[in-house]
Amino acid sequence: MALLSFPASNLLPALHQAFARDGVLLHAAVVEAARQSGIPLARAWEVAAACPDFQLNPIPPADRVCAGLSCILAGAPADPSPASTGCQARCYDSPVAGHDGPFHEFAIREQGQVLFPDVPDWEGLERARALGPESALALVDDSGLRGRGGAYFPVGRKWTSALAQRRPLALVVNAEEGEPGVFKDRGILERRPRRFIEGLAIAMNVLAPSVTVVFVNGAAECARTELAAALDAFRVALPSQPLVIAGGGGYVLGEETTLLNAIEGRKPVPRLRPPYPVESGLWGMPTVVNNVETIANLSVVFREGATAFRAIGTADAPGTKLLSVSGRVQRPGLYEVPMGVTLADVLQVAHGPASGNVAAVLAGGPSGGFLPISEFGVRLLPGLLHATGAVTGSGGLVFLDSASDIRQAALAMAAFNAAESCGKCTPCREGTPRACDMLATGQLAGLNELLDVIGAASLCGLGQMAPGPIRSALHFWPELFR
Amino acid sequence: MTLVINGRECAAGGSLLDAVLATGIDLPHLCKDDNLPAIGACRTCLVEADGRIVAACSVPAASVSRVETEAQRVVQLRRGVLELTAGMLARRDGTAGGPCSRAAAEAFARDAADVSRYHVRNRDHVDNSNAFFSFHEDACILCGRCVVACHDLQHIGAIGLAGHGTKARVTPGAGVPFNQSICTSCGSCVAACPTSALRPAGGLP
Repeated sequence: MALLSFPASNLLPALHQAFARDGVLLHAAVVEAARQSGIPLARAWEVAAACPDFQLNPIPPADRVCAGLSCILAGAPADPSPASTGCQARCYDSPVAGHDGPFHEFAIREQGQVLFPDVPDWEGLERARALGPESALALVDDSGLRGRGGAYFPVGRKWTSALAQRRPLALVVNAEEGEPGVFKDRGILERRPRRFIEGLAIAMNVLAPSVTVVFVNGAAECARTELAAALDAFRVALPSQPLVIAGGGGYVLGEETTLLNAIEGRKPVPRLRPPYPVESGLWGMPTVVNNVETIANLSVVFREGATAFRAIGTADAPGTKLLSVSGRVQRPGLYEVPMGVTLADVLQVAHGPASGNVAAVLAGGPSGGFLPISEFGVRLLPGLLHATGAVTGSGGLVFLDSASDIRQAALAMAAFNAAESCGKCTPCREGTPRACDMLATGQLAGLNELLDVIGAASLCGLGQMAPGPIRSALHFWPELFR
Repeated sequence: MTLVINGRECAAGGSLLDAVLATGIDLPHLCKDDNLPAIGACRTCLVEADGRIVAACSVPAASVSRVETEAQRVVQLRRGVLELTAGMLARRDGTAGGPCSRAAAEAFARDAADVSRYHVRNRDHVDNSNAFFSFHEDACILCGRCVVACHDLQHIGAIGLAGHGTKARVTPGAGVPFNQSICTSCGSCVAACPTSALRPAGGLP
């Protein structure tokens, strides 16, 4: 498969193909992939060596266990062993095996306009076509829809900026979903594919992109299979067939400029901004990067209209949010709630009135922070939920019920950020492992200053947010880390 | 919009780093070559620009109006980054390297970085396979200048930064010594290195 006239973009697909064929990534396969892609071997080797999915793992997939936070809380071994893997995004069913598995309908606990079962028509798309690109863009603007990947940037503004460049543009759907504890995009792609396809078709109609890429998590085989089936079954709805590219793993891949580098056959590390992707993104084209949940929301916006869309949520953040709820609750799973509900509301529906011992929550995973139950009155809105780090982010909530949970979770998040640092910039690469060691050993002198350096000086958002779990845990429960 | 740096009005051309250096302020910039695009990896050119902390190499000067290079917080942050950088280096003096090899040592001195704050993490790979230069990991700060010089300036692409996180290492080819890669011994990587990690043969003992 050659991606347009950019042979370098064959690198990642070629590495995937070789890995699937051989079960490991052989040196000869990297040499061949580099040759096919016209990339110097050293640069291809950078990519291959930076993708955790491609590493030789002698443990058969069936014997691996998930070592994500919710699975550790449910009894999986906390210490990394050769058999432990990163989060497998089935935290609603923990502990789970260390390989991908299907997203079952039972995991959808609360459904609203996004997760409502697919309907067999294209009402939203027909409305977009009838309106034409200009009026459709105005409708996106009027709806107040914000991106659901975690940054909540207004979708209409992003699209307008890209279109204002008046050059051929690229549309990239971010379905990497590599944050531990988050499984909403897999839920949409596997259980509500038609809603996603309708949203994608609307975006393609408005933006008229020269190239459309759906970038899916490399380990999420079930989601990729369902997406391929949906793209095939509903091809009539789409102006052209998008390219589907699978990633090679790593938390940083979800960062949008890293994802663009990966598509271009470059090492998956963040780019400098400016230029922003809407100015110069994929192959230098103005590029719109939107999350799967954002795309699915477009279907809702065009079916319901801006006024109805704004009737749910808040004036500044209309609509619903998908929350991936796991940990010490009776009903873990996917919850679609109006933007602006409180953590207490979420706990109530996920755990029932007898709220048991729940003592805290991790909101926003390794890029978020912890909150004690005394703070559960806070509303889930864009931005920080607390100055020490907790965020709504992409909607991952892990509930915790004891001091040992909190300590274990804080150490797990600190270790995750240290292990997943891509290594490009000094503060994150050198700082996160040192911060993790200081927290684990209780040598806290200088830790606050170090966290300030990591947060203020790191290149990308993931480095800048990495201090959150440590800072918030130390703020609320200093006694647990002395 | 006029650009004011440390209270002095300046010409707002190029990047903020260009503008700062043009005023004669010797801001550290360990991963930025004069003749190559910004990498943004070392984070040592931090300044306060209109109240925000930014890496000066990656911001157009024309987009900013007021810059402070010596405000208390930004000096503290720059020092913090340099201390983490020093924590990578078993050898910090940079003598007998290439033409830029004193840059890191000078930055530590300029911002009064406490170079012994962190224990030095153990990295000891040595590549002596090339007759003209050698690579010493214990002096490498992973800034990426050598890789950019090799690939973007010389269009050779003999080396990369393979591995992620703290496992990243300057790597010829697919993990081979320099003399088994497509390296042409042009010397661009040695010329770009801001420490003595890449040093001419006959350099440090």
